Amino acid sequence: MAQAKALDGSMSAGIQKDSKRNKKHHDPKLTPKERRERFKKRLEYLTPAEQKYLKRKRIVDAVWPIFRAIIVFGLCFIILYPLIFMLSVAFRPRAEMNDPTIMWIPKTFTLNNIKDAIRAMDFWKTLGNTLFLNIGCSLVQVATCAVTGYGFARFKFKGKSILFFIVILMILVPPQIILIPQYMFFRYFNPFWIYNAITGSYINFINTAVTMYMPAVTANGISAGLFIFLFRQSFRSLPMELEDAAYLDGCSPFMTFLRVMVPNAGSTFLTVFLFSVVWYWNDYYVSTSFFTDNRTVALMLKNLDANLTRIIFDNGNIQVNVRELIVWMEAGCLISITPILIMYIALQKNFTEGIARSGLTGM
Amino acid sequence: MRKLHLSYEKKKGLYGYGFIAIWFIGALMFFIVPLINSFIYSFNDVTPEVGYLSKTWLGLKNYKDAFMLDPNFRQYLVEALQDMALKLPVIVVFSMFVAIIINQKFKGRTFARAVFFMPVIIATGPVYAIITGNLETNGNNSAQQFTTMFETDMVDQLLEFIGIYGFGTTFTEMLGNLTSDILNLVWNCGIQIIIFLSALQGIPDTAKEAAAIEGATSWEFFWKITLPYVSPMILVNIVYTVIDTFRDPTNLVMERILAVQSDWRYGYSAAMAWSYFGIILVVLGIIFAVMNKLVWYENE
Repeated sequence: MAQAKALDGSMSAGIQKDSKRNKKHHDPKLTPKERRERFKKRLEYLTPAEQKYLKRKRIVDAVWPIFRAIIVFGLCFIILYPLIFMLSVAFRPRAEMNDPTIMWIPKTFTLNNIKDAIRAMDFWKTLGNTLFLNIGCSLVQVATCAVTGYGFARFKFKGKSILFFIVILMILVPPQIILIPQYMFFRYFNPFWIYNAITGSYINFINTAVTMYMPAVTANGISAGLFIFLFRQSFRSLPMELEDAAYLDGCSPFMTFLRVMVPNAGSTFLTVFLFSVVWYWNDYYVSTSFFTDNRTVALMLKNLDANLTRIIFDNGNIQVNVRELIVWMEAGCLISITPILIMYIALQKNFTEGIARSGLTGM
Repeated sequence: MRKLHLSYEKKKGLYGYGFIAIWFIGALMFFIVPLINSFIYSFNDVTPEVGYLSKTWLGLKNYKDAFMLDPNFRQYLVEALQDMALKLPVIVVFSMFVAIIINQKFKGRTFARAVFFMPVIIATGPVYAIITGNLETNGNNSAQQFTTMFETDMVDQLLEFIGIYGFGTTFTEMLGNLTSDILNLVWNCGIQIIIFLSALQGIPDTAKEAAAIEGATSWEFFWKITLPYVSPMILVNIVYTVIDTFRDPTNLVMERILAVQSDWRYGYSAAMAWSYFGIILVVLGIIFAVMNKLVWYENE
């Protein structure tokens, strides 16, 4: 990582130098005509091939930024389109959904859709519950995955390649394949295989937070394989001297990890934590399997259209126009992505730069 | 008690076991044993009982049923693979293109990067499904209007203008499918773009300078500098994309497997899942074998 930083530093220095040199040629005091003449004069000293190259470069340098701006703008529009649509619709009274004259900006603004969606999703309670599962599991998972990743990155032991192959398998195997056995494990939990023999019964963990926390604590939560892999790559790219110095000073391996390696892998920790939060936040598969009535934001949003008619109109049979239903759905989407969107905007720089720096470059 | 005398290397190895111990216990409980169990289920007829699942040995019957009797499974498999084969090159080329653009210096780059990676935090959740669903319900949607700018008619007319008639409707159809799917495309490339971006930032300055001094055009620079340096990440991205589409619970095969599973036919669904998994492993193996010859590693 240190190397990557140094590399980036020299790169930006190079670019700065370049721009200075360019400024010299594009002296603002010169009129365009004088500049053109100057360029022609320079060309006279060059071979035809060089002349051709320079002319071509001038054209490309002039055209490419315009072309690029169009592409970037177009793609940004496509990506942001659903969000703009969400904002436009979420604050729109539902009657105006059928007004063909309204494209983006509604005639009247209303907060009713948001209020209804908050009520239908029981949002504040749901949010609290989600954060409890989400942040807690992510924090625990990041810590245990880091420890595991460090073990794989810096120690030699027998069977390491087989064990690491299991990590790769964890990335490959879809969670749906192993779900039923996992369910059985939690439904009929039998500690050390003797609990049932003694008491004749099982512990039922279904519908408790244990089903989320227990895998997270043992570095087997959502996407844990990928996180272990990322940590391994990032620890491997740190210089060996760091640890050797700590060992010589009498630091035990675990303290070395805590005091020397962890502070140096800050950006990886942040990246993995963000990913972990995002994936726990978006997950509805695991929570539907292990909970019969779990209130997480993703789940409530998924069931929103079913709950809407029941809660808002107090009548399960009422028929609402599909187009009008959109206002509540979009309002629900808006309130469910707002928390992670805020987190993303706040940490955006670390997120985008961090993932590019850490882990992956060492692959 | 006599103290054990271990060499430094051996001690370090033991510490290594210590570091991965927590994960190993977890993997045993939540991954390895469930994985083996589900493999065993795939050869059995499984019915849930209190405390355990009762199994009756069926041999290969579940697998045979999946491929011979199931009305849709084979068709879904073929469709999923076709879809993957079509999507794969588009995603890889597109994400590389975007990565190259946002690696350049221009005004608003930070904003552009933030926008391009934003789908990563949303696309895995239910919000994405609702968004795309709504876009389809809502008739006057400008995402579609926007993409029609690139649509088939334009291409056809352009070709006719140049003097090429009836260039082949299949080609224009394919192009049309791709362009109308552009929302889907840009919303599913976030991770791939990040991976390519990190690879682009790993190209050493010396190579860039040498190319600039030799007078390489940007076209030549792309083929002779960028592509070789990025090629290992092309492999990574292909593998990632394959795994990602394969694991996607909304893909046809996955949907079928989950439907069978919620029908309490665990053995049958396990057999389907395992044969699907096996096919994907073969696909990945072929990709590795072909790509490994094309990939260029700097250290070799």
